[in-house]
Amino acid sequence: MKKRYIAIGLLASSLASFGQRSDSTYRKKKLSATDVQIIMSYYTQDNDHSAVTGGTGTEDLQVYATQFTVDYQTDSLNTFHVDGGLDIISSASTDNIDYVQSSASKTDVRSHLNAGYSRSIRRKGITAGANTGFSIESDYSSFNTGLFFSKINSSQSREISIALQMFFDDLRWGRLHGGKPEKLIYPVELRSVEWFDHYRRTSYNLDLSFYRVINRRMAIGVYPGLAYQSGLLSTPFHRVYFSDRSKRVENLPGDRFKIPIGVQLNTFIGGRWIFRTYYRVYWDNFGIFSNTINLEAAYKMSGRFTVTPFIRIYGQTSADDFKNYGDHDVSEEFYTSDYDLSRFESIKPGVSVRFAPYSGSGPTTFNAIELRYAFYRRSDGMEAHTATLVISYTKVKQKGPRNISNKP
Amino acid sequence: MRIRSIYKILVIISLGATACESVRPYQRVYLNDYEMKPGQPGSRKFEEQVHAYREGATGGGSSKGSGGCGCN
Repeated sequence: MKKRYIAIGLLASSLASFGQRSDSTYRKKKLSATDVQIIMSYYTQDNDHSAVTGGTGTEDLQVYATQFTVDYQTDSLNTFHVDGGLDIISSASTDNIDYVQSSASKTDVRSHLNAGYSRSIRRKGITAGANTGFSIESDYSSFNTGLFFSKINSSQSREISIALQMFFDDLRWGRLHGGKPEKLIYPVELRSVEWFDHYRRTSYNLDLSFYRVINRRMAIGVYPGLAYQSGLLSTPFHRVYFSDRSKRVENLPGDRFKIPIGVQLNTFIGGRWIFRTYYRVYWDNFGIFSNTINLEAAYKMSGRFTVTPFIRIYGQTSADDFKNYGDHDVSEEFYTSDYDLSRFESIKPGVSVRFAPYSGSGPTTFNAIELRYAFYRRSDGMEAHTATLVISYTKVKQKGPRNISNKP
Repeated sequence: MRIRSIYKILVIISLGATACESVRPYQRVYLNDYEMKPGQPGSRKFEEQVHAYREGATGGGSSKGSGGCGCN
């Protein structure tokens, strides 16, 4: 009898009790997020193999670059992207196109702006998008457009992406002097001849990416690519000296195929070390075959500070049409003395320091500030220094009506 | 010889990729770290542009492809 009353009492209480009340005042929140990144860089180099003077002469150059990147996520599906920047270039070798030492020919400005949009289909793990943009400097203008597609599986352990980027370039000079592109600029003593009857260059880049999580501490990425360029691939103001002491404007083939394959392995070891290893093999029909190795060892000194020493080693074979100053024969169809296409090895050690407090008040979060320095040395004597500062922050904004508190 | 090198790399990658562990979302604390990001995040991008100007090779996981500049 007693058990019967206990059972009835429990049943009655279960019908009367509720774990949670239905909250009719609840509203789904929509959050938009804006990620902003500001990059400031300084680059300086010097060498004695300027292509403007046929493979000899100063290559003293400084670049002051500033760039911003804004990713605006309106919700979990749509993202708008804008990036742009300004590069101020001071080049001693450019001054030797006409052998007139002046600040007007020594200094150039390159400005660029790109915009893109991407849309995600979360159920299927698909993201697709498009982008477009342009860049302008006094001897070069470029319009670009591209498409990209990626798919990630439900456990986020595998991702495949493909991107096609196209560049339509114009090599005529005069864009920043009066606003109209005029003509190709040749070395001053060679302007009596019209060396090229075309001034456009077209480039197509197809980049694939395969990302795979191996375990909780390791992930691998494979990046095969294919690139094709056609049109005016020579630089109109590069000189080439021949064995008979004559000189001409650089002349390269009108087609170039490139096949790079990169592999990256990132490993988290212990509680503080992350090793980033990267290897790339590259081939093109100009005759260049190269290998690149990049090693980084990030050490997390604390939850906020990370120090990353790194080293990059690179080696390439010479392009078939490259020869040193004065070594070309006049019977050759294609010729260049641009040492960027010569056989060389390079080494680039450096270090970066990153401070990431992820702190802030209200909707704005200061994500991180990073300072990076690299020293670059090439076996033909080139030395360069690069310093980069990156600042990033995120702003989150709530969209739609706010919740009404449900006070009893 | 070069084709053999590329082939060996692809075989090693495919063998490594088959021995993979399933990682649940709450086990991704190491994978989600900033330094584990694939590609060339943050301050590395500007140096990739320098490489495109001063070297013959581009692409293959680099943030800078061919074209759009008076570079290689």
